[in-house]
Amino acid sequence: MVMKRLKPLLTALVAMLFAAVAVGTSASADSKPNYIISTDATYAPFDFQDKNNNYVGIDMDILKEVAKRNNFTYTLKPMSFNAAAQMVANGQADGIIAGMMINDARKQVYDVSTPYYQSGVAWITKPNSKIKSLSDLKGKTVALKTGTAAAAYGASLKDKYGFKIKYFNDTDTMYNDVVNGNTAATFEDYPVIQYAIKNGMKLEVRNPKNLGNAGGVGFFVKKGENAQLLQQFNTTLAAMKKDGTYDKIINKYLNSKQSTFVGSASDNNTTWGILKSNKNAFFKGLLETAKLTIAGIILASLWGLLLGIMGISESKFWRGLSTTIIYAFRGLPLMVLAFFIYIGLPGVIGVKIPAFTAGLLTLILNEGAYTGAFVRGGFESVDVGQMEAARSLGLTHRQAIWKVIVPQGLKITVPSFVNQFIITLKDTSILSAIGILELTQTGTLIVARNSQGFRVWAIVAVIYLIVITLLTWLSNWLKKKIA
Amino acid sequence: MSEEKQVKVHVDKVNKSYGDNHVLRDISLDVMDNEVVVMIGPSGSGKSTFLRMLNQLEKPDSGLIEVDGYDISDPKTNINKVRENIGMVFQNFNLFNNYSVIDNITLAPVQLGKMTKAEAEKKAKELLETVGLPDKASAPVSSLSGGQKQRIAIARALAMDPDIMLFDEPTSALDPEVVGDVLDVMKHLAKMGMTMIIVTHEMGFAKQVADRVVFFESGKIQESGTPEQIFTAPKNERLQTFLSKVMQA
Repeated sequence: MVMKRLKPLLTALVAMLFAAVAVGTSASADSKPNYIISTDATYAPFDFQDKNNNYVGIDMDILKEVAKRNNFTYTLKPMSFNAAAQMVANGQADGIIAGMMINDARKQVYDVSTPYYQSGVAWITKPNSKIKSLSDLKGKTVALKTGTAAAAYGASLKDKYGFKIKYFNDTDTMYNDVVNGNTAATFEDYPVIQYAIKNGMKLEVRNPKNLGNAGGVGFFVKKGENAQLLQQFNTTLAAMKKDGTYDKIINKYLNSKQSTFVGSASDNNTTWGILKSNKNAFFKGLLETAKLTIAGIILASLWGLLLGIMGISESKFWRGLSTTIIYAFRGLPLMVLAFFIYIGLPGVIGVKIPAFTAGLLTLILNEGAYTGAFVRGGFESVDVGQMEAARSLGLTHRQAIWKVIVPQGLKITVPSFVNQFIITLKDTSILSAIGILELTQTGTLIVARNSQGFRVWAIVAVIYLIVITLLTWLSNWLKKKIA
Repeated sequence: MSEEKQVKVHVDKVNKSYGDNHVLRDISLDVMDNEVVVMIGPSGSGKSTFLRMLNQLEKPDSGLIEVDGYDISDPKTNINKVRENIGMVFQNFNLFNNYSVIDNITLAPVQLGKMTKAEAEKKAKELLETVGLPDKASAPVSSLSGGQKQRIAIARALAMDPDIMLFDEPTSALDPEVVGDVLDVMKHLAKMGMTMIIVTHEMGFAKQVADRVVFFESGKIQESGTPEQIFTAPKNERLQTFLSKVMQA
């Protein structure tokens, strides 16, 4: 009975995977060329989401103009900066525009446009601070954001000027640490801090005329590829500078009021206002989280079931394979697996994998390994006499497994399944790293725009709690039905 | 024994070790059609291991085992086919916990294509009658007492129409007051001419039902004979010691 029910599901699993890959690879029927452009959408003023959840910024406006004047279309892939850059390096995306500094190391991997903006690292203190030069930082503490070029620059000056370093994970907290006087100064890319100061951050740049590591910001394509796209970018950029379009774009972002992009104060300074003005974004994010969770739970459970059954097979080969798969995928951090599938794998197999498919595959492999482990444990905990009795009647190993062991073993594992469902739901948040616009990534983008970390994450947390509560109720109902 | 009776089980020089523990040493035994053989002996003497070899729940290290004419010590023999003709009853019943009583009985005949579901259920009801539990067909296994479980387990084994039945201490896990119910069913089977090989500590039952009693000790058959020979005139010294201990109790 169980087997009859499982077979179509397994078939569906395979079909769905193929369909997902096929959707991702199907060519556009449009005659215009379509480019995949990756970006980091939390990098105002270059790239961020406005109050209507559209991607805007200097980069976005330039890109839109280049596409229009050269008659091509593009698909935007917003994600974390590192992932965005990697996508281009291994051919998953055609180009990256993300306020990315031009340097020699990057020129080894990418072909670069002419710079469209001059940037560099600024060092920043409170306005009217007694600290006038870097030498004044001796013995003081400096705030840096983990992993950025500005942080690397700041850290390189540490010994020379004798300051201490405190690391932060997000820009907003780092700025406020300086504003509150806990740390004396911070280092940040000039246009980024300019935009923040413009939008009311009470800080002052100390070296606007003398930026560290000064250089240009460019548009990058994979080395040796997309020469035409790069050429079009350069030509149009020159034309835009000549006809004033370029200045208009820069002014729009660097000389505008905060409310233009971020929305009114009432939309941002109350939890209710944030919820109301972003309800569509939250809803879409929730929907994506729900899709990932439901598909992930179903497919990972089936995969785990298969691993569990392989794990109690008569054949050493299948048992060994099951153990190896469980060991490998349980040992891999979810995020590493996601990066490997989304960013690493396509370079090898030559097929682009859509983010959702990659995310779903990640969930199936990781959650499926955990499921496989407890399912196998459940099967093994069925008294050995049950198998002996079945075999002594003449049933084959397979019949005994499906008719006697599996039904009893699964019953034991029901609580573990419920637990795993909830873990799967929470793990979908990690997939924000590959740019899937689910609930967590939605929160990240909103915070990047309005700097209201506490309120936005509180909203996101409550939404997760509500969904988990619903899932728990559903699971408990299922549990009762089975038991 | 008349000449035309055929050998149902032929065992020749079987050995079995678990690590250093040599549990069976050169065991040879023939069991004839319709014969009831009771195996007695102290715990750990190897009698249960020997019984479990007859349907390959244990595999011998060396020696020959033929059941129903099939050489089951040959890996090429389809053991599932042979097992269809060997019923087994376990000390701990091992009823399938995920099925009702009747589904326990019908599972194998239906799965193995011996009967349709309807035929199997009809047969199951007859068997429930035979073991004295006609009203338990739809009961869940967990609602049964030990004695009832063991009688259902016998019915389940009989559903495959076996021509040999193996009993591995079928009454050891039972409360004393229900042992009789199970033994009665077994006596009935013996009367019907079933070939039976029984491991048990029920000496009274052995006396009454056995055609032959086999005494196991230290992995060897120390003595075998009719119940009269074994219980009234034991020759082997170890058998005498064993009997004096169990008969005192």
